[in-house]
Amino acid sequence: MVKLAAKCILAGDPAVGKTALAQIFRSDGAHFQKNYTLTTGVDLVVKTVPVPDTGDSVELFIFDSAGKELFSEMLDKLWESPNVLCLVYDVTNEQSFSNCSKWLEKARAQVPGTSLPGVLVGNKTDLASRRAVDPAQAQAWALGQGLECFETSVKEMENYEAPFRCLATQFLHLYREKVELFQGLV
Amino acid sequence: KMKTDLCLSSEGTEVILATSSDEKHPPENIIDGNAETFWTTTGMFPQEFVICFHKHVKIEKLIIQSYLVRTLRVEKSTSKEPVGFQQWIEKDLVHTEGQLQNEEITAHDGHATYLRVIIQSAFDHFASVHSISAEGTVVLNSS
Repeated sequence: MVKLAAKCILAGDPAVGKTALAQIFRSDGAHFQKNYTLTTGVDLVVKTVPVPDTGDSVELFIFDSAGKELFSEMLDKLWESPNVLCLVYDVTNEQSFSNCSKWLEKARAQVPGTSLPGVLVGNKTDLASRRAVDPAQAQAWALGQGLECFETSVKEMENYEAPFRCLATQFLHLYREKVELFQGLV
Repeated sequence: KMKTDLCLSSEGTEVILATSSDEKHPPENIIDGNAETFWTTTGMFPQEFVICFHKHVKIEKLIIQSYLVRTLRVEKSTSKEPVGFQQWIEKDLVHTEGQLQNEEITAHDGHATYLRVIIQSAFDHFASVHSISAEGTVVLNSS
């Protein structure tokens, strides 16, 4: 049994629902929830996610820029040494989807030469009549980038846990790979 | 006085704290005299462990075998309790693809009862420490 710790960064355009997603994930009646507001005005959501079919879990430290992503020097500090990435767009906003490649590039630049497990989350599926991003298109792009793809409605509290469970599972797999590597060294 | 490896559990040395632990790869693996066994960090940095000699020793050389460690910092204390640690060594390690980092550090003023080893940063999400040995002499066996 192992309990891992992972720094999760939330990326995506302003107003796509990053903070709402993190907050609804936090408040979901779990026992180990903590919430911090850092002195920088950044929100930190900490929650332990059990990985299904294992005794293992991952404590996610979700760093939310809380709307301050516009100040890029602050984002650089906040995004230092990430372990996993949660990339969010708004399914009613085509631009927020196309900007994902820019956000992904910026996130990956934080850990050059190292893999960064990630998920792509299309939020606001409750606004079905205003949908502007085809799920198949998002799926294809995510696949090409090695990201797992999800759609959520934070407003309807739908499917908001799955992306984080997926990140925890990916991070555990990465850990097991590394341990195997360490074992083969001597 | 005879020089010995002061960092062996068989000599009474203990790891009394580690910030991360996988029960399959516990911190005791660092001082078991076997480089095949190791302690892993389990995500995010810094990570640290504290070694207790249970006696006053004078370290002349520290040898650390690890993997993917980037910045290493070692503090030491000469107190009876694990308090009052002072900065001793700080080193940036080189990434050694596919083989253990083998860092030999010649120590100045190596008087210690405790060592606090801090991995400040790594070359990947996780790092491992396979062994630490400290060459030196026992100054005083504590009662």
